[in-house]
Amino acid sequence: MKRLFVGLSILMILLITTAVYAGAPLETVKVNANQVLDVLRDQKLKAPSAKEMKKDKLRAIYVNMFDEVELSRRSLGNNWNKLNAAQRQEFVKLFEQVLEKAYADRILSYTNEKIEFTKESMTSDNMAEVRTKVITASKEIPIFYRVILKDGVWKVYDVIIENVSLVQNYRTQFNDILTKNTPEQLLEILRKKVKAQ
Amino acid sequence: MKSFSLAVLLFAFIAVGCAHAPQAASTPASPAASSEPQTVLVASNSDEMPAKAPEKPAKAEKGTVNSDASMDYTEEAKEDQAPAIADPIEPFNRAMFEFNDKLYFWLLKPVAQGYKAVVPEQARVSVKNFFSNLGFPIRFVSCLLQADVSCAATEVGRFTVNTVWGIGGLMDPASSKDLNLQKQDADLGQTLGIWGVGQGFYIVWPFLGPSSARDSIDIAGEYFLYPPSYMGEIAPWYVWPIVRSYEEVNRTSLRIGDYEALKEAAIDPYLALRDAYVQYRWKKIKMKGSQIEELAPSGMRMER
Repeated sequence: MKRLFVGLSILMILLITTAVYAGAPLETVKVNANQVLDVLRDQKLKAPSAKEMKKDKLRAIYVNMFDEVELSRRSLGNNWNKLNAAQRQEFVKLFEQVLEKAYADRILSYTNEKIEFTKESMTSDNMAEVRTKVITASKEIPIFYRVILKDGVWKVYDVIIENVSLVQNYRTQFNDILTKNTPEQLLEILRKKVKAQ
Repeated sequence: MKSFSLAVLLFAFIAVGCAHAPQAASTPASPAASSEPQTVLVASNSDEMPAKAPEKPAKAEKGTVNSDASMDYTEEAKEDQAPAIADPIEPFNRAMFEFNDKLYFWLLKPVAQGYKAVVPEQARVSVKNFFSNLGFPIRFVSCLLQADVSCAATEVGRFTVNTVWGIGGLMDPASSKDLNLQKQDADLGQTLGIWGVGQGFYIVWPFLGPSSARDSIDIAGEYFLYPPSYMGEIAPWYVWPIVRSYEEVNRTSLRIGDYEALKEAAIDPYLALRDAYVQYRWKKIKMKGSQIEELAPSGMRMER
C-alpha cells in the first residue's frame, strides 16, 4: 500500500512538473501568437477606421507577451546602470513607443502567412528559446523568441529574426550613442524619434 | 544590395508595448542571490523564489517599472557575448551607406514597385528560383571547401532536380516535403570563416552593400563562379550588368518594405545595418562550424 502511494506520488509529481515545464514556454508564445492572428483576421475590424482599435488590442496582447523592462534593460546592456530610476522608467516607455511605431503598420498589413512552431529548448532553469517559422508565399523566415520565467509566467525578452537579435541590434546603437552623449541626451533623441514617427 | 540585409530585419512580430512583470527569481546577478543557488541544491523554481524574494522589492502593480528597473544590469553568460566588428573607415562606410540608401529610394525601389505592379508574385518567385539555381556552383564549391560532403551532395541533387523537373530552375521541387533537399547556406566568405579567417573590418561597398574584408573575397570569388558573369563571352559587354540588375530588381520586388522597416525601427540605421550584418554572418559560420542539424518541423501549423 505504501509503495503504491509512493509510486503514485512520484507519478503525480512527474506529471505536474511536465505540465509546468515542458512545453510551457512554447505554449505561452503560441497562445499569444494565436491571439495576434485572431485580431488580424477579425472580419469586424477590417475597415481602415478600425485600425486604432486593432492597435489597442495588439498592444494589450504584447503587454502580456513581452517583458518590457527586461527587453529595455538588455538593450542598453551595461549602460543601463548609467541611468537613474526616473530615466530608466522613461527609457522603457520611449523604447516601447519606438518599437510600436516602427512595427505596428507592418504587422497590420500582414496577409496570408502561416506560423510553424518548430522547437523549444531550455537555455537555463528559467530561460528558454522558442523557435518558429513564418511561411510566406515567397520565403520562410525563422523567428526565435527568447523567453524568461518570472513569477510563473513566461515572457519574451528578445526576438531573433533570421539570426539577428533585436536586443543585440539595439545595444550596438545605444552603445554608440552613449559613448558620445549623456543618458539625458539619449532620452531626448528617443523623444524626438517618437514625435517624428 | 545583398538581399539578406533587406530580409533580415523583418521584425514583423515585435512591436507594440511590453509587459510589466513583477519581480521574480531570474538573474543570478546581485551579490545576495549568487550565494543562494549554492545552498539550494534542489533547484526547483518554487524553492528558489521564496529564497530570493527578500532582497527584491515587493511585487509591483502593473504599470510601474520601479521594482524591476532597480535591478542593475550585469553581463550574463553567453547570451550577452555579442559579435562585433572593427569599423576604422567609418566615414567612408557611412558615405557609402548614404549612397546605397539614395540608390534604393530613388532608383531601385521605384523600378521594383513598377515591376511588381506588372508581374504577378508567382512569376517573380520563379525568376528568383531561376537565379538561385544558377548559384549552384558557388554553394557547391563552398560546401566542398568546407569538407561538407552531405552539403555538396544535396546541392548537386537540388541542381539536377530543379533544372530537369523544375523547368530550368523556375520551380523548386527539390525543397518539397518528399525530397526535402533544402538550399544549403554556403558561400566562400563563410568557408573562410570556418577555416578561422577573421572577418576583418567593416566595409560598405557602393551598390553591393555591407560586407567585411573577408567577405569581400566572397564577392570576388562569386563573380568567377556565377554563370551569368560569363555572359560577356557570348554577348555584348552590357548584357551582364543588365542581367544582374534585373536579378536585383526582381529580388527587391519581393522584399519591398524590409529596408524601410529597418530604418524606421532604428535609432541609427547605419549601425543597425552593420550590427545586423555582423550577427547574420557570425551565426552563419557558427552554425556550420558546430554542425547544428536542420530542425524538422514538429510543431503545429497555424493557418492564417
